[in-house]
Amino acid sequence: MLVPARNYCVAAFVLSVLAGTAPIEAHHSFAMFDTAKTMTLSGTVTSFEWTNPHAYIEIDVPEARGGNKHWSVELGSPSILQQSGWKFKDLKFGDKVSVSISPLRNGDAGGLLIQATLPDGRVLGNGPGRGPTNPAAPAAPPAR
Amino acid sequence: MVNRRFIFFALCSIALVATGAHAQARPDLSGAWGPYRGGRGADPKLAAVAAAPPVLKPEYAKPYADRRAAETAATQRGEPGATNGVLCVPYGVPTMMSVAVYPVEFIQTPKQITIITEAFSEVRRIFMDKPQMKIDEVPPGYYGRSVGHWEGDTLVVDTVGIKDTVQYQRIPHSDQMHISERIRLAAPNVLHDQITIEDPVVLEKPITYTLAYSRMPDYEMVEFVCDNNREYVDANGVVRMKTRGK
Repeated sequence: MLVPARNYCVAAFVLSVLAGTAPIEAHHSFAMFDTAKTMTLSGTVTSFEWTNPHAYIEIDVPEARGGNKHWSVELGSPSILQQSGWKFKDLKFGDKVSVSISPLRNGDAGGLLIQATLPDGRVLGNGPGRGPTNPAAPAAPPAR
Repeated sequence: MVNRRFIFFALCSIALVATGAHAQARPDLSGAWGPYRGGRGADPKLAAVAAAPPVLKPEYAKPYADRRAAETAATQRGEPGATNGVLCVPYGVPTMMSVAVYPVEFIQTPKQITIITEAFSEVRRIFMDKPQMKIDEVPPGYYGRSVGHWEGDTLVVDTVGIKDTVQYQRIPHSDQMHISERIRLAAPNVLHDQITIEDPVVLEKPITYTLAYSRMPDYEMVEFVCDNNREYVDANGVVRMKTRGK
């Protein structure tokens, strides 16, 4: 499902928070992700990799025509994630999860996390200033 | 006798005042420091100061401008080019001092001040009160050779020996580049690092900017080992992300 995203606003917010800090570097440009799109994936976690330079959620997502499609979702680094409430054991093999992502522009089955709805209903973003866009909003329906 | 006592008392007083001033003049910078956040409630006087656009010597200016334009266009096409960071190559001096929102840690001793960054666990060592070596005697590296001394409350650091692939904002530099820093507490819990990059071969005038940090008293630095890097550079020089799906 593709819907308009507010990631540019989120990026602008991050920059405004860091206003004046100017010469900052990031691990890589996020231009490979289409931040004008949001895709929502609900599926089963095959691994949650709490690693650097990024953490990853690997998920199998059921396809309408049967079977699964495997997706790789990139998150921030553990340092950045823990600042927005993530813990290394928040996800494990077999967990049902719903994530919204900015998909890769090249069509590969991957994307950048916007926010995740965990099995316990918590909604977590991708670091300070990076979602969830409205933490008070009701969580997405749990994935089956 | 009275005069002797008076002189002794006067000397003690001077010594105490001097000691106090000395202690005040050399702050303890040890601990973790995160980027000073602007925005609501922040003091603009304590905020970081960005560098002016770099002014390069004419023979370097056009190639640099052309390359930046090409990089910008590629990014706008969604095909960003490679940087050291993408490949988990260290940022080095001075970029390592301001990587995204990651903190840096100072460990201050009389003979050496060590700075460890959280991003990529980079380490630089500032040797105190030692003379700087001649530039051509320092093997080029990511951190070069840094020497420091105190000027009142300000830690003054000089760095040479940065290899040509280690660039600030991807601005080229020669082996004559000098980086000087003036590091001081702008407020009890706000640290400023004024960085000046001079290069008589490449730069028409020095690049100067100031980084601002807030003290993070209880922060425990987080491990950062780049052992799961899924970004790679394809045959066309474009940064891609490896996925595990088909």
